[in-house]
Amino acid sequence: MEIHRYEKLWLGASLLLIVTFIGTIVFGAIGPGVAMVDAEGGTITPDQLSADDRFSDPRVEQVGENEYEVYAIARQFAFQPDPIEVPAGSTVTFYIASADVIHGFEVAGTNLNTMVIPGQVTKVTVELDEPGEHGIVCNEYCGAGHHVMEGKLNVIPQDEWEGSDA
Amino acid sequence: MGLRLDVALRRSADGHMSSEQASADGTADGGTAVADGGTTTDGVVREIGHDEFDPVGTLSLILVYLAILVVMWIFMYFVEFLGNGPTVVG
Amino acid sequence: MSELFVDRFPKEARIVRLAFGSAFLALAVGALMGLLQALNRTGALDVISDTDYYTVLTAHGVLLALIFSIFFLVGLFTWAVTRSLDRGLPDHRLAKLWYGLMAVGTTLTSIAILSGFVREIPMSADVLYTMYAPLQAHPLFYTGLAMFLIGTWIAGFDWFRTWWSWRSDNPDERVPLQTFMVLTTTLMWYIGTIGLAVEVVVFLLPWSLGIVDSVNPLLTRTLFWYFGHMVVYFWLMPAYLLWYTVLPKLAGGRLFSDPLARVVFVLFLLLSTPVGVHHQYLDPGIAEGFKFIAMTNTMFLLLPSLLTAFTVVASMEHGARQRGGTGYLGWLRALPWRNPAFTGMALAGLMFAAGGFSGMINAGMNINYLVHNTIWIPGHFHLTVGTAAALTFMAGTYWLLPQLTGRKIYSRSIALGQVILWFVGMTLMSNAMHRAGLAGVPRRTADPTYSGFVFETPLGAISELRAQIALGGVVLFVSAVLFLGVVLLSWMDTNAPRASHQPLPAPLSGPEHSPLVLDNMKLWAAIAVVLVILAYSLPFAAIVGEGGLFGVGIDAAQAALAPLGGGLP
Repeated sequence: MEIHRYEKLWLGASLLLIVTFIGTIVFGAIGPGVAMVDAEGGTITPDQLSADDRFSDPRVEQVGENEYEVYAIARQFAFQPDPIEVPAGSTVTFYIASADVIHGFEVAGTNLNTMVIPGQVTKVTVELDEPGEHGIVCNEYCGAGHHVMEGKLNVIPQDEWEGSDA
Repeated sequence: MGLRLDVALRRSADGHMSSEQASADGTADGGTAVADGGTTTDGVVREIGHDEFDPVGTLSLILVYLAILVVMWIFMYFVEFLGNGPTVVG
Repeated sequence: MSELFVDRFPKEARIVRLAFGSAFLALAVGALMGLLQALNRTGALDVISDTDYYTVLTAHGVLLALIFSIFFLVGLFTWAVTRSLDRGLPDHRLAKLWYGLMAVGTTLTSIAILSGFVREIPMSADVLYTMYAPLQAHPLFYTGLAMFLIGTWIAGFDWFRTWWSWRSDNPDERVPLQTFMVLTTTLMWYIGTIGLAVEVVVFLLPWSLGIVDSVNPLLTRTLFWYFGHMVVYFWLMPAYLLWYTVLPKLAGGRLFSDPLARVVFVLFLLLSTPVGVHHQYLDPGIAEGFKFIAMTNTMFLLLPSLLTAFTVVASMEHGARQRGGTGYLGWLRALPWRNPAFTGMALAGLMFAAGGFSGMINAGMNINYLVHNTIWIPGHFHLTVGTAAALTFMAGTYWLLPQLTGRKIYSRSIALGQVILWFVGMTLMSNAMHRAGLAGVPRRTADPTYSGFVFETPLGAISELRAQIALGGVVLFVSAVLFLGVVLLSWMDTNAPRASHQPLPAPLSGPEHSPLVLDNMKLWAAIAVVLVILAYSLPFAAIVGEGGLFGVGIDAAQAALAPLGGGLP
């Protein structure tokens, strides 16, 4: 098959570009250590939430020196707990479940962005170094009140942190 | 008045109708003076065959595009993405 | 063969006109919906209530991304097969059947959606075009879509039948390029719609009828996205068909390479479906390994589009030089920019170059955290389906309609203005969508202003971005109205000057240079199926294993009736 030499050049350049894109993504996984949401969180259905130790009482819990776990629920049309408060400089693992339909959970202005699907538990870990107040947006259409569904993630400066919210 | 405008628009839109040539897929009879069907003034002035054509302009444009892609990718990944605050690490 | 298509193939021309007419009707309603959205979510003008927004959005997505695009495709492909084989469809009753199914299906689904505006009618389908469970629509919504889908399957079969009948009379000939494009696209469609068909027929429709009382949301979502990436190529392939086979002629030249066009279409057949999981990068319940495989497949799926860029631009360059253009870049001036069909397609291609880039970002597995479900995503696809496809369809209509009606287009100047306006409107709207998305503004949201926080943008204020989206949306709507106006006037004007036949020139490098194996569609279809099995069998097994085929305890949520702020403890 006859291919013009310019098009062969372009074919080579395109393949190189594609491989470079894949390489960048791999770098992101290895260097900065970005990890994808996966199946580690396990499964849970909406009717099981109230019997579950974590989700029957949505809260923040300290599990180590600078380690916290957040048990959160997304439902039409709010997040629980609201606000979610953790201290700065901590590593936080979120466990998020849905009480009804598919929701999104995005901390606006960050890369903490994930889906919450009924039947699944979303488990994501982040390092929250800087103090600040962030909005949590539901970015997956979830019904008539989707646009009022918001929450807060407050990362409290360490000197103001008094322990888990009572 | 509307009708006249209509006719005037139509007149200005018509190109000349040069003679058509019947060419179908599979025949290799070049491409002289292709008719435009009145949608544009026909502008073909010469015939360029397979062996005489090197798409240097295309190569130039596409290499510029490649450069833009590379720069934009680097910017998007290393500045916008990695600079966008806390990221999921587990 | 200097007969007009409508004179040589009057019955086929009628089917094409019917299909286009249905497409443009869907475009009219869909475009109006888009205008309402743009005004509402930017706060520019509240014509509809925020809850009605989701009815509007469902109509916009379904009518444009499914109905307009696919009706146009079936019309275009019927023309292309008939024209390139120089042979009519074998049995017109079959054509009436598939067109009828599509038309009735569209009507039923539209009724279900639009009933959402009328409180008195206990029927709605505010589920958006991705219709994720547990959100549930009225059974009529799913029924109509199933009928529409079956109609498209029969249309594909109709084109295959035409080809088989041609092939028995021409056993030693190569498949003409346009027919090859139609057939490979149809095979891609058959393979890729399996997911949607199973989702709707096995799960969503019985569930909405109460025959089963639960579904597994992750399973149905994964079935949708098995279909959901392939469908974008169902939108693009008709545009590519026009860019490869008609645009060179409009530019005054010839297609640079027929063999490479065949390679591109084979690559789409192979790779369009096994990438679907890239729409689910942030889903729980799917392992990172499966997401990585979807990513590498997706990145290689860039290749046929990158190759297309070269071949199409080279063909345009050929035309420009035949028109007297010279220099490394000066030849661009020699192109027929006053021809709306040409300019529309050229602008669509240019916009696709930008849309392709945002698509490359979307394909990146971990960078997806930055953009997923933000308004960047609609920013991206309005460049691709919204311009590369839709604007090419409009431009192609200016060229093709005269050959289907026998009458010239009503006004070339207005048509030219229309395509330019579309490009301008989309530039405004889409660039603002991309930038707002980077700040975290969500998509599919009636009013993205929140009480507890504000979005921060590095460049330009949110209010400025909202204004651009609103303005861009208005400009696009005006352009759509102009298009529909020109088409309507052209169609109805019985005093219009007679159109002239538009032959398509032979490519510079013809099918005789194309290896025979490229035409072996059975081989490529088989490989495509294998790739799909490799990409999807393990993820599906895991999803069903973990959550069950029908899920447990997942109640249907009737989308429009869900109480606002309800469900709090």
